[in-house]
Amino acid sequence: MPENMSISVNGQSQVPPGFRFHPTEEELLQYYLKKKVSNQSIDLDVIRDVDLNKLEPWDIQEKCKIGTTPQNDWYFFSHKDKKYPTGTRTNRATAAGFWKATGRDKVIYSNSKRIGMRKTLVFYKGRAPHGLKSDWIMHEYRLDDNINDTNIHPSSTVMGEIAQEEGWVVCRIFKKKNHHKTLDSPVMSSATVTTETTDEMTMFDSIGNEGALEQIFQYMGKTACKEEETNDEAAATENDTNDDTNDNNNNNNRTSSTTRFLPTSLNMNMNNNFNGCGHERFLKLPSLESPNSTSSQNCYNPINNDDHQGMIGDDHYLPNFGFNHHDHQIMDSNQLMIMTNWTSLDRLVASQLNGQNEVSRQLACFNSNINTTNNGNHDRDHLQVPAAPTLRSSSVSSSKPYYHSAAQEYSNEMELWSTFARSSSSSSSLLSSDPICHVSNAPL
Amino acid sequence: MGDNNNVNLPPGFRFYPTDEELVVHFLHRKVSLLPCHPDVIPDLDLYPYDPWELDGKALGEDNKWYFYSRKTQTRVTRNGYWKPLGIEEAVIGRGTAGSNNKKVGTKRYFVFYVGDEATNNSGAIKTNWIMHEFHLSDSASTSTSSTSSSSRSSKRRPPGKIDCSKWVLCRVYERDDDDDGTELSCLDEVFLSLDDLDEISLPN
Repeated sequence: MPENMSISVNGQSQVPPGFRFHPTEEELLQYYLKKKVSNQSIDLDVIRDVDLNKLEPWDIQEKCKIGTTPQNDWYFFSHKDKKYPTGTRTNRATAAGFWKATGRDKVIYSNSKRIGMRKTLVFYKGRAPHGLKSDWIMHEYRLDDNINDTNIHPSSTVMGEIAQEEGWVVCRIFKKKNHHKTLDSPVMSSATVTTETTDEMTMFDSIGNEGALEQIFQYMGKTACKEEETNDEAAATENDTNDDTNDNNNNNNRTSSTTRFLPTSLNMNMNNNFNGCGHERFLKLPSLESPNSTSSQNCYNPINNDDHQGMIGDDHYLPNFGFNHHDHQIMDSNQLMIMTNWTSLDRLVASQLNGQNEVSRQLACFNSNINTTNNGNHDRDHLQVPAAPTLRSSSVSSSKPYYHSAAQEYSNEMELWSTFARSSSSSSSLLSSDPICHVSNAPL
Repeated sequence: MGDNNNVNLPPGFRFYPTDEELVVHFLHRKVSLLPCHPDVIPDLDLYPYDPWELDGKALGEDNKWYFYSRKTQTRVTRNGYWKPLGIEEAVIGRGTAGSNNKKVGTKRYFVFYVGDEATNNSGAIKTNWIMHEFHLSDSASTSTSSTSSSSRSSKRRPPGKIDCSKWVLCRVYERDDDDDGTELSCLDEVFLSLDDLDEISLPN
């Protein structure tokens, strides 16, 4: 029996052999950061305070040692300072470089209750915009004290975010694994491998030394990637302004039946098409680089005020639909047909951006296209194009204000689309919600 | 035993031994009949348990299980067997116990198959369960340092008093649960690579 296992960290004492400080995200937030924020004493000085502006990552490594055991990650508390007195941006520059946020913040749950957020940052050496990206990664955890079980109004969430720009955060830094190094390591090269097991070896092989995107494709083939598969995935695909998406789930007042309907249908669709979560994951990737993204972004703007609250659920999902299914269809067996439609739609959008006269002409073409389709036997066409208004039609009454504010002068279009909606309301396909996004948002 | 509740550590401390620690601290002391603090790793003797039965019997932490076993040639359990992968790695001492850059032990890899070992590939089903089996190297038990060219199977028994053949230390885990958190998610990797595409903006 161990007599005295008390450890005093940071120099003097010993963590018993084999033990490391490896807290879960929950422990970091619920135990350590909560105590820190509320000024309670923490038994052991395991996590130190670090002024992020004064220490380089490699110095932090030295300062935040726990005992003498080798470490792969280091933990510290940091106090966020504003870069400008009036602004909300945080100053994370050091003498040698700066920390730059990447990706989107991840929601941290404890017993399926939201407790905080995690921001991922990368250390760049030098000064922006000429920084040189390093392997140093930081996860910065902040508590979510304003988000509880109560339903939070979207705007108050935004206020909460601002309020949290100051105060304590708990951070973990680590060096991104360099797979190249692993392969060349003396340990691996000293391994003796019999020939029969070369294929088995591959499973110990790390991803290899390809670039990040190649890694993604590798991941897609596997079933791993747990982190992104948890139910906070929804949050990850939404951008910062949409933190309330999660709250929507609890908010019966605001959640229309369409909101509930859409995501499940989407999943069904995806599963039918691609029996692989890998693909789904890929499709969920943010539409940063997609040509749709501008229109998607615009889509949020008109609905973020009180008049259109009822719309929030719908519009959150629509842009993603468009993006996702755009990719789907490229791989569809009906490729040619669909591509034609998409081409015409793209032309439609482009023309809308360029001028209105062109629009009506294009629309007319498009209209006649559709009509012949509907009258003819081209079932596939029928499913593809008019399906979009179908989606809309389920929430058409609540959407009205949105449409009007978006495009008064295109009322003829609106009629056009609602005609489609009615004529094809029997179709249950959710494909091609994208066109309506283009049309209704391009003028913005 | 089988748990580390008797180790009174603050939240966040977990049993995450390095290979070296397993060999130098735990296996070596076990074999040498030295007291082991903390005495957290139990003896399970001769692989009697299927990997999914280890929970509660072996020392479990973060979906990895640790136990001592007697050295044996057949690693058969109730419902299957551990098949060697033929991989043998040297465990290098990098500092603790004054064993700098010396080979202190070897690590062998096994994968668990459900079924009868005799039928081998025909009937047995390969699983995701992996085992690392640690052995003391002979040189580690004697103080005569040998810069040996690693795993030479022609082992002559050293004059030392330690019987290296008796015990091994095993770490069992299910593959893909092997994430120590110091790796970016694939989504983060995408974002990171996207960062390269655009101009680096001001730090925020």
